[in-house]
Amino acid sequence: MDSHPFSAGSPARPRRADLAGRGRAVCFAALAALLGASAPAAAQGQPKLLEPERAFAFSAQALDEKTIEARFAIADGYYLYRDKLKFSVEPPALATAGALPPGKVKDDEFFGRVETYRGRLAVRLSLDKIDPGRKVTVRAVSQGCADAGVCYPPQVQSITLALPAPGAAPGVPVEASPARKSWFN
Amino acid sequence: MLPILSTRPWLRWSAFAAVAAAFLAGGLYFGSGMQGNRDGEARGRDAAALFGVALPDTSGREQPLSQWKGKVLVVNFWATWCTPCRDEMPEFVKAQTELGGRGLQFVGIAIDQADKVQAFATELGLNYPALIGGFGAVELSKTMGNRLGALPFTIIVDRSGHIAHTQLGPLRADQLRSIVGQLL
Repeated sequence: MDSHPFSAGSPARPRRADLAGRGRAVCFAALAALLGASAPAAAQGQPKLLEPERAFAFSAQALDEKTIEARFAIADGYYLYRDKLKFSVEPPALATAGALPPGKVKDDEFFGRVETYRGRLAVRLSLDKIDPGRKVTVRAVSQGCADAGVCYPPQVQSITLALPAPGAAPGVPVEASPARKSWFN
Repeated sequence: MLPILSTRPWLRWSAFAAVAAAFLAGGLYFGSGMQGNRDGEARGRDAAALFGVALPDTSGREQPLSQWKGKVLVVNFWATWCTPCRDEMPEFVKAQTELGGRGLQFVGIAIDQADKVQAFATELGLNYPALIGGFGAVELSKTMGNRLGALPFTIIVDRSGHIAHTQLGPLRADQLRSIVGQLL
């Protein structure tokens, strides 16, 4: 675990109008999801939920020989906690620290101010050693919840990609493959 | 780094890992590429896997779940970082106070660190045991029907040790009272 985690930067100001609109949209989406839930799930009063790797779809793309963009596509009705989100790059010597974009602020009775991400999130990871053609692994540790009323334990997702040569076209976006449905998944 | 990812004493999970392996061998629950909602499948099953587990409380003392056998047991998997989990807990505290004398016992299993759990337990005035589980506890909940390994997840066990209800997501107060009322 010698990789370099990227820590959160300074907290952001809340965007109230955006928050309210988004909140309503999310509520409707959650309601629609609940109403559209399969009959057995609805009968039990249990929300229909996405598996964490689908709710928080992780992908990465090598933009050039020294920049990787790590992305999360967060499903409607789901959110990630900013302070639980960490990216690292292996081999460890490659990455320099970057800052996560500001999230939306909400007050948590127990933890105080917390920031969350919804929708799409992209973070650029700069590499301090240029080593074209080399394969690097981007690792994301994330933790999030669904508006339907559940939270997922922290999950670790990894993507291995090759860095393009200087001046070459960016690499193709690579999606994290869904975790295997094994016992100790 | 997330503290929750720190190394845990995995040994204590060997007991229910063995029970879980038995489920696998029996083909009772796990299929490859498990999809769809199977959260209700644990109902009616023997809660032996639960009663085989011992977990430390916030002071580090091992607490075997078997000590609550014979009671109407509500096992709630939760975490301080899970807002919906925290939101439903005051209702559990209330129910424990009102129905504890009739044989209702809540037990919380926190996927969390002991100090955070203790701080929240104090703040809330938690009146039932808060045990500390690692990811092993998430695996345990998966064997009990928590397909996604998400929180809160609650298992209600009747006096004879059978699972009466499993719930992924918050348990409404009226729902809790109704289920528990039939079992007491």
